[in-house]
Amino acid sequence: MAFWRKMLLPLALVFIPGLLLASIKINAFLLGQGWGLLALLIIIIALVLMYWGFEQGRVSSREVAVIAMLGTIAAAGRVPFASLPGIQPTTFIVIISGFVFGPRAGFMVGSTAGLVSNFFLGQGPWTPWQMFAWGLAGTSAGVLKTGCPRAGKKVMTVFSFLWGYLFGWIMNLWTWTGFIHPLTWESFVATYAASFWFDTLHALGNAAFYLFFGSSFIKILQRFRRRLEVRLLPADS
Amino acid sequence: MFEGFFYQEKGVFLQSLHPLAAVFYLGGLLVLTLLFTNPLYLLGLLLVILLCIAAVRGWETWETYFRLSLSMMILVIIINPLLVRTGETVIWWGPRLPVFGRLTVSLEAVCYGAAMSVRLLAVISIFCLYNLTVHPDKVLSLLARFASRSALVLSLATRMFPAMLRQMENIREVQAMRGVDFQAGTLKERLSRYAALMNILLLSSLEDSLEIAEAMQARAFGSGKRSCYRQDTWRPRDSLCLGGSLLALAVAVYGQAKGFSTFSFYPQLGYLIPGPMTVVVLIIILLALSVPVVLSWGWQRCPYIKAKI
Repeated sequence: MAFWRKMLLPLALVFIPGLLLASIKINAFLLGQGWGLLALLIIIIALVLMYWGFEQGRVSSREVAVIAMLGTIAAAGRVPFASLPGIQPTTFIVIISGFVFGPRAGFMVGSTAGLVSNFFLGQGPWTPWQMFAWGLAGTSAGVLKTGCPRAGKKVMTVFSFLWGYLFGWIMNLWTWTGFIHPLTWESFVATYAASFWFDTLHALGNAAFYLFFGSSFIKILQRFRRRLEVRLLPADS
Repeated sequence: MFEGFFYQEKGVFLQSLHPLAAVFYLGGLLVLTLLFTNPLYLLGLLLVILLCIAAVRGWETWETYFRLSLSMMILVIIINPLLVRTGETVIWWGPRLPVFGRLTVSLEAVCYGAAMSVRLLAVISIFCLYNLTVHPDKVLSLLARFASRSALVLSLATRMFPAMLRQMENIREVQAMRGVDFQAGTLKERLSRYAALMNILLLSSLEDSLEIAEAMQARAFGSGKRSCYRQDTWRPRDSLCLGGSLLALAVAVYGQAKGFSTFSFYPQLGYLIPGPMTVVVLIIILLALSVPVVLSWGWQRCPYIKAKI
């Protein structure tokens, strides 16, 4: 078991480029059609790696509970806005969670939101992609925090805005590899052009959420982050 | 609103499968659906999936899924012929467009779009079947053996989601009682009202989460090796279903490698049935995949089979 724990990351890192190479070199393996399957496999490996990272770290019961709750809030955010296409606070909540609690927690909040909301809105082949996209949004926000801890309102608003597009672009990969043929630059551009307005709406929604409510939400989260840091003293002292 | 999507215990055979066998079977179905492009194979898989859905008495739920996927299917059928220019049999010459050049619709692209929409429907039906057959907690407990913390996060979140929606409704009602109208006003005003709602929700639920953490702490979370609350028994039916899925996967890989089950759309449509082996492979795969359906039928009708599996 310990061996596998050590080997998981290098194995996966070899396996993913191996799959990509196999898809180019051995056409019979994919028959020019299996891209949807291959892409799904790569996404699932990436997700497994991210979850594995979470398993390895030291996580207290408080962190588990707060991460789960933030994931639920982000997931629940999808529901009341279901009638407005693209505008939902999920991405925004995932980003500020990652920003305040760090990349690992950000990933967990994002992927939990994707998975859990789909338990209720309907699971589908899009689930791993959404988990991946939102997880990455949270992780990147955490990385941004470590990179420039003083990232202010402007930087974060632009960051949220960009994630509106990035999220759509990751999801487009799903549509493109799964259901469009042939996979050419033309069809790639067409798929991306088709989702442009939808992504723009999502990006604008994110930016608006951050601009108006980012600071108050971050203040709440930071307060809870301070409360997470608990030191247990030995009982006999 | 989303009642149909929830797992409901109906006491049918497929729900009594071991989660590992059920997840493996559904995963196998998914892989095969994404692997095959031959319309005959896709239709065959769809047939098996629909039989399974009938076996869990899930027609009503499936109808909702079907209605949801219909628009996507139509989109796939329309986008493919418009974008793809590799088909040789052109059945419609369209107008010239600035970026894309002349629009053409070829027979091959229409067929490809139709096949892909069947694939889409099959994939969505598999997920419908998943929601109908597998209890989320069972899968999470399966996951907990490998990744206990992630499984805990996921099961906590799953458990709290409906409560969260109820709480959101509560807050909304309290706000409405205090004179906040969520329907009126411009988009910006409505957004700000919803954000106030989220603000309250965030505060109160994070407060709750710390209570949950204390409850976990009190129950000795993380103090040693995890104990297991739920034990699922592995019965002959699970071995049979697992065997069927494995056989189907193996035959599918064989068929794909030998080219029996492949089908080429471009540049011209290939033969649907190039040789007898195509049919043989298809029949073996479908039979292997319908093991759960047959068992389910036997389980209902024949007491002997019910006692044995």
